Formats: sequence, C-alpha cells, structure tokens
Amino acid sequence: MFETGIRQLRMAMGMVSGRRLDPRNIGRLVDDVRATLAEFGEPGADAQQVLDGPLADPEEQLEFARRGLRRTARRLAAQSPFYARRFAAAHAEPGGLDVAALRAIPVTTKRDLIERPGEFRCADAAGVLATRTTGTTGRPAEIWLSRYEMELWAALGALSSVLRDELRPGDVMQVNISSRATVGTHLTATVCRLAGAGCRLLGIVSPDEALDSLSQGAATLLSTCPSYLAELVTAARRRGMGPGDFQLRHVGVSGEVLSPSLARAACQTLGVPRIEDSFSMTEVIPVTGRTCSHAHLHHDLNTGLTELLDLQTGEPTAPGALGTVVITPYFPYRDCMPVFRYDTRDVARCLPEEALTCELAGVPAMSQILGKADHLLRLSPGHVITPRQLIHAIEALPTAPWPARYRAEVRDGRAHLTLAGAAINGYGVAAARRHFAEAGLDVDLAIVSDDQAVSLRHTRSDLHETTFVTQQALIGA
Amino acid sequence: MPATHDMPIPLLQETFTELGVALVGIVAVSTFAVFYFRRVRLDRPPIGTFNGRDIGILLTFIIALPFLYAALPGWALTCFLALTFASALSIGYRPLLGRTRSWLFIGLLIGANIWTSRTMLGTVAGWQLWWAELTVLVALAAIAVANLYVQGGMKLRYVAWLALALGAYDVVFSSVYPLTSKLTQEFLGAPLDPSLGMRFGIDNFAIGIGDLLIFALFAVATYKAYGRPAARLALGVIVVFGALVPSLVPLVINFVDARTDILVPAQAFFGPAAFLCYLWMRHHYGRERTMAEYRASAAGEASTVVPAQPATAPEPASV
Repeated sequence: MFETGIRQLRMAMGMVSGRRLDPRNIGRLVDDVRATLAEFGEPGADAQQVLDGPLADPEEQLEFARRGLRRTARRLAAQSPFYARRFAAAHAEPGGLDVAALRAIPVTTKRDLIERPGEFRCADAAGVLATRTTGTTGRPAEIWLSRYEMELWAALGALSSVLRDELRPGDVMQVNISSRATVGTHLTATVCRLAGAGCRLLGIVSPDEALDSLSQGAATLLSTCPSYLAELVTAARRRGMGPGDFQLRHVGVSGEVLSPSLARAACQTLGVPRIEDSFSMTEVIPVTGRTCSHAHLHHDLNTGLTELLDLQTGEPTAPGALGTVVITPYFPYRDCMPVFRYDTRDVARCLPEEALTCELAGVPAMSQILGKADHLLRLSPGHVITPRQLIHAIEALPTAPWPARYRAEVRDGRAHLTLAGAAINGYGVAAARRHFAEAGLDVDLAIVSDDQAVSLRHTRSDLHETTFVTQQALIGA
Repeated sequence: MPATHDMPIPLLQETFTELGVALVGIVAVSTFAVFYFRRVRLDRPPIGTFNGRDIGILLTFIIALPFLYAALPGWALTCFLALTFASALSIGYRPLLGRTRSWLFIGLLIGANIWTSRTMLGTVAGWQLWWAELTVLVALAAIAVANLYVQGGMKLRYVAWLALALGAYDVVFSSVYPLTSKLTQEFLGAPLDPSLGMRFGIDNFAIGIGDLLIFALFAVATYKAYGRPAARLALGVIVVFGALVPSLVPLVINFVDARTDILVPAQAFFGPAAFLCYLWMRHHYGRERTMAEYRASAAGEASTVVPAQPATAPEPASV
C-alpha cells in the first residue's frame, strides 16, 4: 500500500515533469495491480484516473497538449536532424508551440519516413529493434526502437490491460498477426509476461491451424486483424464449430475496418460478448485509440496529440466533415525515432459539436476510421463513398463473403464495384444491387471469377505464413 | 500500554481498577472495530494492498514516532497529533456522517480536548472530562485506522507479525531504553495524549493507542480471514493477553520490586500469543479469505433468504 503509493507518485511526477519514466517502476505497479485484484477482485474506485489521467476538463486537455508538444518539439529540434530542419524552415519556436501554432509545421508523411529514415533517428537514443509496417498501402516504412521505449510501452500496456481487466493472470492469449510485426509481437509477449498470462504467437497461419490451437490450447484471448478474424469465422462455420468449442472471453482486433456483420458473426461463433476494435499504427505507437459503444474512436490523450485535418486545406476539420488523422506522440513516450504531426492518411469524420454521452465521453473522439484517404471514392464534391461503407455493405450480403474482396473506382461520375462471384453466389446480381441501394450505395456491379478475388483488395490476412503442417506453396522441387 | 501513575491506593485495588479500564477499553474498541468492519465500506486507493514491505515501513514509522514525540516542542506536537487524529477520523467517519458533520464533529472533539487540557485539569472532575474526551477520540481513531488497514488489504498474517515485532519493541523501549515510560509521564495532561483511560481519585489508568490499534487490527483481520468463531477466539486472546495478564503483572512484579509505578509492556505478552494464535488458526482453518472472498461471503449471508436452496458457506468449512 505505502510503496504502491510511492510508485504511483514517481510515475505521476515523471508524467508531469516530462522526464523519461522508469519502466521497471511501472512493471512493479503491474504487480501491485495484480495483488490488488487478487485481494479485492477489482481495482479501487479511481482506477480510471490512473489510466486516463485527470483530464476531463477541455482546458486542462489543451494545457496538457501544449506542454506535451513543447517538450516533444524541444527535444526533436535538438536531437532529430529531420525535425531540426523542419522547425527551422517553418520558423517555429519549439518552446513556444501550442495546438493553434502547430499548423505552421507541415505534416510528416510516410514518404518522408521511407526516403529519409536515418534523419528521423534521435542522436541521444540507441535503436535496438527495427520494425516494419505491415499494412496494405505499399512499401513498408522502417521504425527503429530503443530499449527504453520497448520496455516502457510494454509496462504501460500491461498496466492498462490488467487494470481494465482485459488481461488476467492465467489467461492465454493467441496472437494471429503477421510475425513480421515485430513490435506488435514483442509488446504482446512482454505485456502477457508482466500480467502473468500466457502468450501464443502464431502469426498468419492457416485458419484451420489457428482454430485447432484456439479450441485445444485453452486460449482465453485472441488478438488479430479483422480480415483474419473473418477467415477464422468462415473456417469455424465450415467445420461446424461454435461457442462450445472455445474458451475465449475477449477478442481484440485492429488495423483494418471491422464490419458489424462480421463482428456479430464472430461473437456468435466464438462465444464472446463483443469484439474490441482498437486503433494502433506502427509509425505512431504508443498512441492508440479505443472504440466506444457509440462507435466513436477515442484516442489516448496522455501519450500524444491527435488532430483531424481537412483533406484539402490541412486545417482542422469542421463538424460532420471528413479529415485525415494526424498524430504526434509525446516525449517521453517516444524515444528513438519519433514522428511529429504524422499524417496517417486514415480518414475519419469529425463528430457533431454536441456533448458526447458514451462511456468514454471525457476523452475527445472522432468517428471510427473510414478507410485510407487514397481509397475514397469521390463522386462529386459533396458525395464521397468510404471504404468502410463498402466493406459494411459487402460483408452484410447474405452470402457472408468475409473478408470483403472488392475493387471500387469512379467511372463517369458513378461508383463501379467489382466483386468475386462467390460474394453473390446464389443471391444474384439484381438482388445484390438492391442490397447496396438499401445501404445507400448506388453502384454499378461487375462480377469476376473467384480466383481473382485476392487481387481485388489486399488484406492483412493475405500475409500468409506457411508451416510444415499446412504449406501453402512449394517453390522448387 | 497499561500504565499506572502514582501509588496512593492499595496495589490490589489499583490492579483491578487498571484491569477494569483496560478491559472496557480493549473489548469496546475491538468489538466496535469488527462491527464497523461489517457495516462500513471505506474508500481505498485504485491500486495497492498491504504487503510485507508495508509492515516494515509501518514498523519503522512506529519506532521513529516516539523519538519524534520526544524531540518536538509542545505546540508542534499538539499540531502533529491534531493532524493525525483529524486525518484518521475524517477517513473513518466521513462515510457515516458526511463531510460537513464529520469535520464539525472532529473539530469539536479535538478542540474540546485542547481546551480541557488548558483549563480543567485542576479538579478530579476536570481530569475525568479530559479522559472521557480522549477515550472517545482515541477509541474512534483506533477503530478507523484498524479498518483502514484491514479494508486496505492487511492480512492476519501481517497483523500477527506486526504484533510479534511490537512485542520485542515494547520490551526494548519500556525496559532497556525506557522511552515509552518517559513519554507516558510527559504526555499526561497534554492535549491529545494518545491514550484511552480514566482518573479515579488522584490516580490515572490508561492504555495507549498503539496497543488498542493492534488489538483492533487482530480482531478485525481475524474476522475477515476466518469468520465469527475465529474472531471470538481472537477476542479471548486479546482479553487474556492484552488486558488480564498485563494488568495483573504488577501484582507479581511487586514481590520482587517494590516500585509499582511500573509501565507494563502489554505487547510483550500479546505479541507472541497473537502470533501463536494465528499459526493455530492457519493450521486449523487453512488459507485466509481475501477481501473479495469476504465480501462475497457477506453478500451471500445477506441474500440467503430461501432456505430450500443450499446456502453458500459464509466462512471456512472447518469452522
């Protein structure tokens, strides 16, 4: 009790002062949470403040963001060649920045990261692990991480997971994300270790192998991406598996659009009450976002600043309009290769100005991610179709074509949608057209053969990994 | 710590008066602490439960405290004690009285004792009023702090070790280095003397807040760990080794030492007895209940209204 108080004080002092935090201190706090849960069954009443900070007041949030930005910018100006040059070019005074003055500094793009990775590395931090992005938007960016930030993120993640009861001692987490997502796998394994849970890192193996592991290996938690979840649900249904075959209590996904149809089917098949859909991205870790029951995306205020900028003007997005999500992770949460105003190109809609009424109302929010900016279908200046709309509509087809495979483009001012034959098998083109019209999508449909399905839309589940149990392809003989 | 001051009445009478004061104080504080534990749920920090290292910190604090008392000037000591009592009482009684009424109550209690210390100690009735105020203040504080610790996760195991360590402490600081005796004498009549007691004639009979706290802790932690029958056993140990033996010891000591203004280190008797009692209970009842198990058991007791259904075991099966 007394020493826990001292540890919390040390952590709070570190967060307020902006100095590097002690990951071991936070790791010991995780042990304290475990002891608390073992004794009381639940954390005390103010646990939420430990996680989210006492930042319910918008003025406090602004002040916190101002301090975080200045602290981060001052360090970058001194340690990061890329940002030293960028701040100088923008005539920005790092110590005088605030949220409004931020607009003078251009956003950082993935192209910047790919073309000049060395210039992003801070002189005062040694990289120990390089990780590459595993998204579907082309050439991967490489991010170097220091030992400090790998230990810190794991400790903070474990603290948050255990306090929120997302991870319990004795749990077994099965992880089906790409094995090349080294940060994700490293963090998950370390978080599980700190929480006293087991971790099974499987990768994107064949769905049947993953299902066998889920059902026979007593996994209680599953972490994956929506497209692989879709493959798991499809395979489980094919095998006649249901909730009785699994011991899962929590399924978490991120990195792609999760449709309500797939989420509902996954809940029914795997026997979990809901699918936790969160936001995370290699380039901006450790800033993450949580989806509330009202389908808002709430980004963590403590570890970084999240802006939503108009796609054309770069100014803050007006209520109801679409914008690109721009994220600045704060120091001391990002250490080796930080980014400042990183343009994720993930598009979200700015929520109306009314006060939020969801369970996370104290944390500012935007809509869920609607897709990548480059994948929007612009039919006219006021009429845009987002990838989320298309995925929701396609995955809601009675044929359950999960994950949605499609190609969408604008031809002569009309949306043209290409689907694989299996998506409307036994349903028909006319019925499918009516289905899309009912979903508010006036589209022209084209159907291609099933063997072309994978080439229509890349998903993370396409990063298949072979094993000697189920080899996907043999090259050479 | 039972203490006798002066010796104008026969030893036997003095011994039994001391026994009466100790018994009333100890039994009242221990039983009300358990009663409070059953009825009042205190707020606790979001993270943290008492562990072995916390007991070490607590012991260090307890050892350092008398030196602090001895070093501080009177006004500073009064301020320190006022702050300590106010904190303990506000934590313990705000859930019952609300913020305004609890602070009014605390202010009146502390203020009245300071005023009585300065103006009323010229008569026996004045002393008795002073002791009555202190008794209420100290008993309420001991009940609140014992509950704060046990509801904060202090296990019976830690209470037993603490009692054992305090037994050694008591022997050292009352016999080898008699700081406790010196403080007891100096505190008498000072505002907010952390003792519970009464004056009869020109004699004062008292027991210190530290002893009361340990007794209350032992009773509450036993009740939480093993239930009502175990708590009754704990209360028996408290009465015998916390009140009876320390109060009757001056009779024995008188055969070998004519001085009867001796300060009896109660924890020297109670600490080992409490520790042995804990070992027996652990052997007999098994693992201690956690707070979560205690709450579930208490809720099960409260909601058992349909006799046809099998009742949940509210306490360990071997009880």
